[in-house]
Amino acid sequence: MIRVDGVSRWFGNVVAVSDVTFDVAPGVTGLLGPNGAGKTTLLRMMTGLADVSDGAVTMFGEPVRDNPPLYGRIGVMSEHETVYGFMKGREFVRMMGRLRGVSDLDAAVERAIELVGLEHAAHLPMGTYSRGMRQRMRLAGVLVHDPEVLILDEPLNGADPRQRVQFQDLLRRLAEGGRTILLSSHILEEVEQVADTVLLIVNGKLAASGGFRAIRAALDQRPYHVRVVADAPRELAAEVVRLPSVDAVNVDPDGALILLSRNVRDLQIELPRLAQRASIGLRRVEPLDDSLESVFGYLVEH
Amino acid sequence: MSAVFSLTLRQLTGRWRLVIMSVLATMPVIFTALVVRSDSAPFVSAFETVVLSTMLAGSIAPLIVVSIASVAFGNEVDDRTLANLTLSPLPRWQIVGPKLAAAVAVAAPFVVGSAFLTSFFAFNRDATAIAAVTTSAFVGVLMYASLFVWLGLMTKQAIAVGLVYIVLWEGFFSGYVSGIRFLSIRHYAAALMHGLDPRRFVDDAHVGLGVAIAVAVVVFAVFVLLSIRKLRRMDVP
Repeated sequence: MIRVDGVSRWFGNVVAVSDVTFDVAPGVTGLLGPNGAGKTTLLRMMTGLADVSDGAVTMFGEPVRDNPPLYGRIGVMSEHETVYGFMKGREFVRMMGRLRGVSDLDAAVERAIELVGLEHAAHLPMGTYSRGMRQRMRLAGVLVHDPEVLILDEPLNGADPRQRVQFQDLLRRLAEGGRTILLSSHILEEVEQVADTVLLIVNGKLAASGGFRAIRAALDQRPYHVRVVADAPRELAAEVVRLPSVDAVNVDPDGALILLSRNVRDLQIELPRLAQRASIGLRRVEPLDDSLESVFGYLVEH
Repeated sequence: MSAVFSLTLRQLTGRWRLVIMSVLATMPVIFTALVVRSDSAPFVSAFETVVLSTMLAGSIAPLIVVSIASVAFGNEVDDRTLANLTLSPLPRWQIVGPKLAAAVAVAAPFVVGSAFLTSFFAFNRDATAIAAVTTSAFVGVLMYASLFVWLGLMTKQAIAVGLVYIVLWEGFFSGYVSGIRFLSIRHYAAALMHGLDPRRFVDDAHVGLGVAIAVAVVVFAVFVLLSIRKLRRMDVP
């Protein structure tokens, strides 16, 4: 359906995307990566908004760049949340439908607005909408011509938990209808809920791709650093090193313990029990590298 | 009415923009009304140089057009909504054309209205002279609009660049350096006016009506084509 073949993009000396190759098939595919990984640049090249420095992007076997007839078959929601503030929601969706040559426009507009659940606000200017409402009405504008391919860049920004669930349900229904959906996010759990396949982008490169379970399993085997501040660190270190969930123990210069663990779930249970048994007070227990960047970094290295 | 045209029309008709345009367009009219009533009314050639050429064609018209045409695309490049248009299946000329048409539809009433009233007061209701001035003003709007729409796609500082162009190129250099005059939109708008009413206006530059029309068509077409080309090739934000 979508083929990205050896695509690179650089801006001066900065390489934003480097030699990325993958295919996107019908269903929901998640494009995951930390902020600044190159997801948006990649999506912009996949939609023809930006040119590639090297490689090729094709959709339905046709090049996407400078190919207006093809754009009638795709729906794109960019990460930018700007809307025409003077325009009412229904007017916006209607304009998007007219631009895309929708034949039964009235019915298509109402169907798209109903899909995103904004019938009650469709008569209001978009400038008065909350961030989540703007995103949903923008999605209605993307759906009005019933595209075969949907490319959505961080579409859940600004959505509250209830809206997220509704949006994920909507994506599943659209995918069941045979559409190809590419959804970008920097939040693992967001993609996990809906995506059958995951593409992982880190530092402009395709770090991993495949089923979400395989990616999740790789994450679960990742070693974590945990910092522990205790009343008697050296005594605790002597005890904690015997725990099956701990791979290594170091004492940093200010006396805190740095534990290396591949099984944080068990460590969470075993450490307090051990401290209680040894009558050692625990002052602070904190993960050192739980940021998304470190998670992605781990996957890249392995 | 095309969706692009109606969208652009709404974007370009903000209240403050229209107020400022109205003030600008009124200036030559008031100036002319005051001058023709004074005891020392100027000759046609002096009036043409000061009011029609320098004030109207060289300043007011391009100022009005640059502030409208350069944001026809410029606003959407800035707020990143241009992708709504470029990701539609419309051929690129069907985006550029309505954008340009909307810019002309907003700017022309101010410039042409100003030219009409100015010539109406100045030439004692002489229909030929009024037609010559207003037609050349409209053709000037078309040329300037095509230039500034393209400029709005080329740079985010289109208004600033446009102002520098108006002040330095159209205002200063083309007035004092004879060679540059042949690369000035104002010059050809004036030549058109000379050609349409040779009885009243003297064509010092000897351009001729045919050349003025041909150059106007070429300038308009070239910048329209450049805009289409740019829209096809640019990275849309």
